[in-house]
Amino acid sequence: MILNLQYNITRLIWISLILLAVLFIAFSLGLSIGPTKSGMRSVFSALFSTNASDSILYSIVWRIRLPRVLLATVVGATLSLGGLVFQALLRNPLAEPFILGISGGSAIGAIIGILLGLSRFPGICVTSFLGSLATLALILVMSTGKSILRKDALLLSGVMVNAFCSAIIMFLVSITQDARLHNIIFWLMGDLSTADLPQVIVLGAILIPCFIIVFVFSHAMNLLMMGRDMALTMGINIRAVTITLLVATSFMVSATVSFSGLVGFVGLVIPHLLRLVLGPDHRILVPACLFGGAAYLVLCDLLARTLPQQGEMPAGVITALIGAPLFIILLKKSRK
Amino acid sequence: MIPKIIATSISAITIMLASGLPLAAKTAQDQLGREIRVPDDPERVVALAPSITEIIFALGQQGRLKGTTQFSNYPAEATRLPKVGSYVRLDLERIVALNPDLCIAIKDGNPKEIIERLQSLNIPVFAVNPHNLGSMMQTIQKIGGILNASAKAKSLVEDMRSRMQKVDALVARIDRRPRVFIQIGLSPIISAGTHTFINELIVRAGGINVAAGNSAYPRFSKEQVLALAPDVLIITSMSRSGAFEKTKADWNRLSDMPAVRKNRIYTVNSDVFDRPSPRLLDALEILTRLLHPELFKDGP
Repeated sequence: MILNLQYNITRLIWISLILLAVLFIAFSLGLSIGPTKSGMRSVFSALFSTNASDSILYSIVWRIRLPRVLLATVVGATLSLGGLVFQALLRNPLAEPFILGISGGSAIGAIIGILLGLSRFPGICVTSFLGSLATLALILVMSTGKSILRKDALLLSGVMVNAFCSAIIMFLVSITQDARLHNIIFWLMGDLSTADLPQVIVLGAILIPCFIIVFVFSHAMNLLMMGRDMALTMGINIRAVTITLLVATSFMVSATVSFSGLVGFVGLVIPHLLRLVLGPDHRILVPACLFGGAAYLVLCDLLARTLPQQGEMPAGVITALIGAPLFIILLKKSRK
Repeated sequence: MIPKIIATSISAITIMLASGLPLAAKTAQDQLGREIRVPDDPERVVALAPSITEIIFALGQQGRLKGTTQFSNYPAEATRLPKVGSYVRLDLERIVALNPDLCIAIKDGNPKEIIERLQSLNIPVFAVNPHNLGSMMQTIQKIGGILNASAKAKSLVEDMRSRMQKVDALVARIDRRPRVFIQIGLSPIISAGTHTFINELIVRAGGINVAAGNSAYPRFSKEQVLALAPDVLIITSMSRSGAFEKTKADWNRLSDMPAVRKNRIYTVNSDVFDRPSPRLLDALEILTRLLHPELFKDGP
């Protein structure tokens, strides 16, 4: 496979602008649709009004919908970028934080944090990061050696790590007997409803440096995709790049897990779709995955909020309903 | 002197207006010991649990009630009120959209995060924490107090006390306490430990709760239930058709259990038994009849 690595900055800008527009539309829909029926125009006038601080719509838009849509934006961006990075580093198109068990590991860490009564930040964020590092190490140990290029070894170890993680999660859930149980269960299914604006801003502040690191290394990912020898001849320090990217990605994934629980398959659907349309250049795919993943999760969360007549369902249910069948299709195609 | 008073009151009024609080407000201590500023005459109340809805109706204050939760099905009139999600999974936007001037929350069930966010939106949240029959009566009086229905709350509580005393007087005549197992979860089998309303009801109704223990809602295997040898087995039904019959048939296979031998497996309405509302007195009377039918031989 020979990549056309001619870097076209105009193309990057155009693609980013188009996906940013898609994100903007998704964002506007997410802000203006909810159980309280109100037109998009009144939502926007509430959003930009300065002195309407006691109108109900103002509270709803600013204090309830905006944090939620923003959370969906950063979580979607992180997970889809995480998928892209894992697919490049492990040279496996089916790699994804959720499928590999990284999310499961950080969920264990986060649940332990919840049970210990830690605060969401930095407490649960740290325990969740430790959990994800532990599973990452486990997966790397299990799948390296001679079999690094084999898809099945990696996927199988991911499946096993995931099964083990869910067993531990079920164990922790079944020894919990108080009201925290309900919260944990909803959170496990991927729940974006508990966000508060300051929390989302903290999360964004954690994530943006990670996004920049990944973007800086996007060309290195291109070279890694072409094989270790090629990367070495191009002067890439494979070890340093791999470790930096793995740690940055695990960190940002666990940060989002500690806020939103387990939202699966976003990192599979979006990178695949975008690679199909835009080609394999990571310098374009990284920003595209950021905006595309963000728009995708905002729309999935919108469905999760509006499909049920009563209340809402966790956003993770929608992403899994779309993502899991796609995973099976991709697996079948990749076998051919 | 007088201009000073006027100046102070003007500035006080300005502060109140600016902070968005209603002018006529009073301070009340909720059951978590917090001082909460509530409107003098709350007009738009949202009840965040079915038990609170039942209490507000029992106090005759349903005119103030503008929203309630998903399973608020009693009295029937309550089902017509707008729903704001279930009590463990409240829908913040629906609550805010009802523009409440007071929310009444329950400590055991409502998620803390939602309560904190409601308060950050300047909606007063009065929390109640009924954990036994006595504190449930306090809950009724607290809610009666903030809804300006203290007299009604007092008579309601007095009525409940007198019904409780009647049961106590009846139960004082029994000579043997049957061993009772209340099954509140079908699969897995879940019962209620010592620090629960259900334990209090069993003991008051003249029974022994075989599931008593520190764990509030312990899980059991069939074998453990058999070993506890309950004389009476009570299944609280969640109105799923056929579920009780199936569970009863399951138990009936274990013919060594005293409750099976004596054919004393019953079902009761779980809403009446697990909501800390005035209907707990109905639950107490129902349970007393089930445990001690001999007390009611010559009519009620």
